Amino acid sequence: MRQQDKKDVHSVTPEVVIEFLKKTLPFNELDDEILERIAAECTVDFFPKGTTIFRQDETEVEYLYIIQKGGVKIYLKDEDGLITLKDFRGEGSYIGALPIIQGTRANLNVETVEDTFCFLMKKEIFLNLIQSNPRFAQYYLKSFSEKFLRTAYAELRQHRVAPRTEGTLYLFSVQVGDLIKRKLQTIPASATLQSAAAKMAEHHIGSLLVTDEEGEIVGIVTDKDLRTKVVAQGRSITEPVANIMVSPVEKIDAHKVCFDALLVMMSKKIHHLAVERQGRIVGVITSHDIMVLQGSSPLYLFREIVSQRKIEGLYSLSQKVPLIVRTLIEEGAKPNNITRMITILNDHILDRLLTLMQENLGPPPVPFCWLLMGSEGRKEQTFRTDQDNALMYQDPKGESQRRQAEEYFRTFGQEAIEHLVKCGYPRCPGDIMASNPKWCQPYSVWQNYFDDWILRPEPKQVLHATIFFDFRPGYGELNMGYQLREHLNKMTQRQEIFLLHLAKDCLESKPPLTFFKNFIVEKDGEHKNRLDIKTRGLVPFVDFARLMSLKYGIKETNTLGRLELLYEGEHISKELYIETVEAYEFQMQLRFVHQLQMMEAGKQPDNYIDPRELSDLEKQTLKEAFAVIGRLQAIIRDVFPMI
Amino acid sequence: MLLIDKVARLWRKEHPVIQENHAYFSNFDQNKTLKEYDFIVFDTELTGLNSRKDEIVSIGAVRIKGLRIMLSQNFYVFVKPSGELPKDSTLIHRITPEQIKNAPSLEAVLEDFVRFCNGSLIVGHYIDLDMAFINKATRKLLGGTIANPCIDTLRLAQVFREEQWGNYYDQFNYNISFNLSDLAKEYNLPQMDQHDALQDAIQTAYLFLFLVRKLNRGGIKTLKDLYMAGRSWRWLF
Repeated sequence: MRQQDKKDVHSVTPEVVIEFLKKTLPFNELDDEILERIAAECTVDFFPKGTTIFRQDETEVEYLYIIQKGGVKIYLKDEDGLITLKDFRGEGSYIGALPIIQGTRANLNVETVEDTFCFLMKKEIFLNLIQSNPRFAQYYLKSFSEKFLRTAYAELRQHRVAPRTEGTLYLFSVQVGDLIKRKLQTIPASATLQSAAAKMAEHHIGSLLVTDEEGEIVGIVTDKDLRTKVVAQGRSITEPVANIMVSPVEKIDAHKVCFDALLVMMSKKIHHLAVERQGRIVGVITSHDIMVLQGSSPLYLFREIVSQRKIEGLYSLSQKVPLIVRTLIEEGAKPNNITRMITILNDHILDRLLTLMQENLGPPPVPFCWLLMGSEGRKEQTFRTDQDNALMYQDPKGESQRRQAEEYFRTFGQEAIEHLVKCGYPRCPGDIMASNPKWCQPYSVWQNYFDDWILRPEPKQVLHATIFFDFRPGYGELNMGYQLREHLNKMTQRQEIFLLHLAKDCLESKPPLTFFKNFIVEKDGEHKNRLDIKTRGLVPFVDFARLMSLKYGIKETNTLGRLELLYEGEHISKELYIETVEAYEFQMQLRFVHQLQMMEAGKQPDNYIDPRELSDLEKQTLKEAFAVIGRLQAIIRDVFPMI
Repeated sequence: MLLIDKVARLWRKEHPVIQENHAYFSNFDQNKTLKEYDFIVFDTELTGLNSRKDEIVSIGAVRIKGLRIMLSQNFYVFVKPSGELPKDSTLIHRITPEQIKNAPSLEAVLEDFVRFCNGSLIVGHYIDLDMAFINKATRKLLGGTIANPCIDTLRLAQVFREEQWGNYYDQFNYNISFNLSDLAKEYNLPQMDQHDALQDAIQTAYLFLFLVRKLNRGGIKTLKDLYMAGRSWRWLF
């Protein structure tokens, strides 16, 4: 005992463990005092590369292993000896928590993929921490991925976007059903217009739902209908409501959030939505109801855009689009919602612009379709994306019409691009714009372009594919665009060689981790030591979704939409679908926040993220996200075994 | 055992802790696996490199048991030297005269240190130097030297490098460093602050774990294996 005392006089708490744990989730949540106590109990073990630390169903787990340096892979082996890779864990990660908590043997195999040093914490100490520290326990007990993402999102919002206003979460938390303020008011279709107006006045409401003889709701009549169809057109007030009602009624499920209602209203250019609960219409909400919830809203901007009568007026309005993003991020919008909102607003600007241009230039000699490419085509625009567009017109009949069309659309394309530049959409560096004669062509030429890319794939063709194959009709004769998509889908599914080229391209990008130690960052130049989150992180997801969609004939262009359809079509597993969506959305969010910060600092937004500025949790989540890229590539190898 | 020690033992009584030390190692089994031994990894900070006139100002040591570093089983002291603390040494270990003003004398802590080491093998980076200082002190203050077998991580690192040498001409590359922190960098070990006796001891412990697991492609199981691995290298020259 005396000896013991004497020895203790000369021993100190090992700083190395304390320092490490302070930077490691969830130990950083612990008090210094507790941290010091557990640090004193930690030991260090070393496992050379290739050592199996846990053997599934065999190893009794006596310690929590916290990786100080190095990395491990975690895999499952089934009865047939088939190995499924589950995860990679690097510095600051732990292994063994689950078996300790569950009191079971190792549930997975763990093997070091690098020379690895671990801190070992006795399982009793770990269990004790879990029992005595609720916050610590929460970290482990909640489902791994869910917990990570939630906290990471919250952290992004709270710490990285300085609050400017008291963030109201209404738009994303209030359900449409909760907005219904009054009883549903209906009127029979046979009732007179006058009685409808009277009823609206009596109840101080702006709309009525119209019912048929059976009492089924068949349409809606609004005060705008009374103004534009009755008073303006001089209709008799004795006519039945049926003559002016809008049918069928646009409906939305009561469980949807206000944001979704807003999107429907904006994309359909309407102000009233019937709210449906379990297949029954229970009320009507208006854009005004949402506006009241929302101090300043995207809807306001939207209204300004659609009512704009001068092209020049659009210039300043389009500059306001990025401003709404802050509100949306503050309100907790998922990145896909933000991009959808930006897309809708940009689409309306384009719609107004091209409509007003036609008023100036006169109607086109043949119908045309404005094509949006790249991120615009995928509805994934962020703050300022380069223009990627093209123009396709109906095949002219005869030489004179051909020349007339060529001339009209050349002028049209060039002017449109000029206006778009003034609206703040930078030119495409690759000149993929409707002002380029090559990309302003009749339908048959476009069809030939695509056939050529698909039938004679060369590296450059594959590169083209990434931009052109995400096209979406943006304005004009949309059916022409859909027809082209239809044609192209039939072609690609048969052309294995073309798909193989795309697949090969997908496999070339390496996940941006040099195995845990660091992220792959740019080695020199302006963006030294920064991570290009677009090229390294997001593009592999986009490429994967495109390749698989072309392979399985999916017409959707939005990456998340594509993934959803791939999952519904059972081309990817539910597990992978969820992982992929989470990984993709998290990176999008990170990019948004980064770009927002740059814009607010008065800089031109870019995609270069400094890993040093990320918190541990963000880094960890990002690493998890990157790990998904490897899994996507494995799927590609599976689907295209001949690469 | 040096003749001087033998002579010394004849007329000077050894301290009980030294007797204890000798008793343990007089009957020492080299054939057990490495996991069955305790190792004390230690490092000293000195006033200079001359064991005849320079002195110890700090000792840091940590225990390895079951081939795991027992971080909290450590020994860390500052020692007040009998002479002046030379300025040039302060520049290296950053220990200032102020810091050791109230530190105990070596005499007051040496017994504890020997006891801490008793029953364990000793590991150090260029351990001969540290042992020269420790044994000079034990001889003077405790009446004898300690008998713990010593393992030099510097020598192990040289053996490991020789194993790695695929190319004959690599042997003539004289730019290689066996400095502790350079090795830590080269092998990608967790890196400690330098020139603090305990941090250096812990760094050496990391290096030791790395080398015994990596040497001979992981084929080192017993203490004898480790000894043989070291010896084969010496025969080359």
